[in-house]
Amino acid sequence: MAASSRADGGRHAWAAAQAGGLEYLGSHAFGPETVHRWRLANGLTVLVLVDASAPIASYHTWFRVGSRHEKPGKTGLAHLFEHLMFNETEGLKAGAFDRKLEENGAESNAATWVDWTYYYESLPADRIKLAVTLEAERMARLVLREPQVASEKEVVANERRYRVDDDVEGAANELLYKTAFTKHPYGWPTIGWMQDIQGFTPEDCAAFYRTYYAPNNATVVVAGDVRERDLLLAIQKAYGGLPAQAIPPEDTVPEPPQLELRELEVKKPTATEKLLLAFQGPALGDADHAVLTVLSEVLFGGRASRLYRALVVDRELATDVRGWVSTFRDPGLFECWVTAREGRTTRELQAVVDEAFARVRADVVSDEELARAKARLELGALQQLETIPGKAEQIGFHETVLGDPSHAFRRVEAFRRVTVGDLRRAARRYTSDAARTIVRVVPDGGAQRPEAAQ
Amino acid sequence: MSSARARATPPPTRVELGGGALVLLEASHAVPLVSIVLALRSGSALDPADKGGLARIVMRMLRRGCEGMTAEQIDFRIDALGGEMAVDTSPSTVAIHAQVIARNLDAFVDLMAKMLATPTFPADELERLQRETVAEIVEARDNDRSVAHKALQRTLFDGHPYGRNPGGTIAGVKAIGRDDVLAFYRRLVTQANVVVGLAGDVTAERAPALVERLLAGLPRGEAAVDNVPEPSLPPGRRLLVVDKPERTQTQILVATLGTSPHDADHVPLVVANAVFGGTFTSRLMREVRSKRGWSYGASARTAVDRRRQAWIMWTFPAATDAAPCLELTLGLMATWVQGGVTPRELAFIQRYLVRSHAFDVDTAAKRMHQALDVELLGLPGDYYTGWTDHVRAVTVESANTAVKNRIHPEDVLAVVVGTASQVLEPLKKAMPDLREASVVPFDAE
Repeated sequence: MAASSRADGGRHAWAAAQAGGLEYLGSHAFGPETVHRWRLANGLTVLVLVDASAPIASYHTWFRVGSRHEKPGKTGLAHLFEHLMFNETEGLKAGAFDRKLEENGAESNAATWVDWTYYYESLPADRIKLAVTLEAERMARLVLREPQVASEKEVVANERRYRVDDDVEGAANELLYKTAFTKHPYGWPTIGWMQDIQGFTPEDCAAFYRTYYAPNNATVVVAGDVRERDLLLAIQKAYGGLPAQAIPPEDTVPEPPQLELRELEVKKPTATEKLLLAFQGPALGDADHAVLTVLSEVLFGGRASRLYRALVVDRELATDVRGWVSTFRDPGLFECWVTAREGRTTRELQAVVDEAFARVRADVVSDEELARAKARLELGALQQLETIPGKAEQIGFHETVLGDPSHAFRRVEAFRRVTVGDLRRAARRYTSDAARTIVRVVPDGGAQRPEAAQ
Repeated sequence: MSSARARATPPPTRVELGGGALVLLEASHAVPLVSIVLALRSGSALDPADKGGLARIVMRMLRRGCEGMTAEQIDFRIDALGGEMAVDTSPSTVAIHAQVIARNLDAFVDLMAKMLATPTFPADELERLQRETVAEIVEARDNDRSVAHKALQRTLFDGHPYGRNPGGTIAGVKAIGRDDVLAFYRRLVTQANVVVGLAGDVTAERAPALVERLLAGLPRGEAAVDNVPEPSLPPGRRLLVVDKPERTQTQILVATLGTSPHDADHVPLVVANAVFGGTFTSRLMREVRSKRGWSYGASARTAVDRRRQAWIMWTFPAATDAAPCLELTLGLMATWVQGGVTPRELAFIQRYLVRSHAFDVDTAAKRMHQALDVELLGLPGDYYTGWTDHVRAVTVESANTAVKNRIHPEDVLAVVVGTASQVLEPLKKAMPDLREASVVPFDAE
């Protein structure tokens, strides 16, 4: 078995690990490299990519829980919980988790979004066992007490002020999702509504932990300069005794098709207007996702894109244009963001954007435009694979959302297959002026001092 | 557990070309991408005082027209090759950062060479770029953190070239004429004034010829003369509130001068600062975030440049916590200066800095950027390659002497972005013995 070719773990220990339920489930080509898939008896999935290009290793733990699993009135719990995971455990006093990592030269952090939560440690390769023991410890033995929960709620409230309340784009984006989703939990912000954040109790957190933090709801991804067999023995030893749990079936209501225009305006202390416009889009696993991503690139990607040229260069109505197709498990949005120049209005911007969408629905784009968009997307995909932690993240993300650790490469292949006809079909299917959500940010006057700066 | 070899990182390949240009190469064939940095040995510190933003404008103009190609054609070509190009400006260097899919490297280098050697600087494109830059400056005011940092640089280094915003001011950008652009280009975009970094999927055999081609059309010229004076700081405690309406939060920066990388106490100060505010478990993080939940982040850092740069402490508490947070952090700073770091804290941070060094050098691009920094900022030759030894050599005494000599809590500038009517008076009380307290609008330049 390729997976054990570099191994030097004791034969007995290895045999015992396999008798204890460590199972090899096969390999996945990851570009020119290989990811091995393993599973423990308690359901923990382990994906390993041995990469000796630098003497480091990156250890990622992906949980299949995000803000979509929350309930109204308890929004932001998945994210608050992510913060609490850096606190006390039965075996570690508050603060000891981070101190141990730092003392060993590790970088660590975590992130939460709609479909997932993940934690990572990147360490000098010879320290990888520390990540194994620390992550196993906090997967099952976290201590949740009032003083830490209270203080962490304050930290998250401040994070919300920073990212949303005092940030024009963050606030507009929150409003867009709230308006575009009427049933599906993608409509509430992952960071949570302020009132919900401030209302959480240690009991809320403990119940969430018991429900979702279990080996059978997680995937461990390790990339780097490791000996695979030794690593697996350490994982089996640290996690093998953790019990699997019954993960409750998800109770999510699909978002009904949007058949009407939803439009709103919000006033902010900013000097310029901003236009946010979104259509319902496909799920990441949908074959159309790659097609719409290429379309977004033709329209919004880089200085040669249609809307950059029209809005920023030729008509000088905007400072910035961006397009994005949400990379979610369920259908998300195809979002467009345009920042107006001072004195220009979102109505002027929208006329140009609408015209561009009408054109891609009516006519095919040129072969050169398609080729440029594909080249840019290929560049972007390669940039995400430049580092060992970057590879681990790509593996963990695609495994968690799609069950396919190699999807980053499949996606580039899918981009290559897209034709100009596909783009027109996708434009017709997903973009309609009559069924979309528009958020306009307009200055409230507080920040308009056009002469003050001259 | 791993093969745990102590692999010494070989230094980058250095090639000095005939025309005086220097090439630094870090090869890696892990991903089929090549990064190219073309950096000048001069940056925004050399911008004329009334034309702030000139260095950045000139470098951005290089892609806005060259012999036989319009700006639009250049943009189309860059994208078609799977490439990207951006300009980064700092006081001591201005650079084009590019990256391209390896199979198109040759064509990309040819395009860059043409842009460098035969720019046409069309007048209408210059005017367009000026309007674009002004709009970007206005847009950046939405970002409170960026507003805070600009106000800090401007005030801390008032009258010194480090006080100029590398991106320029609205008035400065508008004052630039085509003659200024041409003169700058002729004087500074020369072989002797450039350093080229290459990293990624390219071999040492191929690199020199590639860079020869890249720079072939440039005259030999001369390297820029660095006549930037040493900055100095007026005595006393100063408070500057940058007034912005409707803030629920504040951005608080507290700053003084740090060290120059050539100072003997530079590394001791960097190490002592890491104890104070350089990691997640540092004193600042523990007191501000972990114990009190007052700010999502709390950190301190020492900037590195050719001259003494700033030491900056950063928190961003809710408006209602701004005054107590400023009082707390000033107190922590005073305790750090008076009491220094403990042997235990020093040993801990040395282990962290030595072991985490693996992440400063884990990619070819990072190693190339370090080598570029050494050249462009005039750092000691072993600044990065000997980093772990420098860190190990720090003693409790050298660390604490550095902090005492360099950081003076009685001579600091605090810059706070917030709603002045709400925060000014409480902040003044939180910072006793103020020599000066002032309020400026957030769009001041």
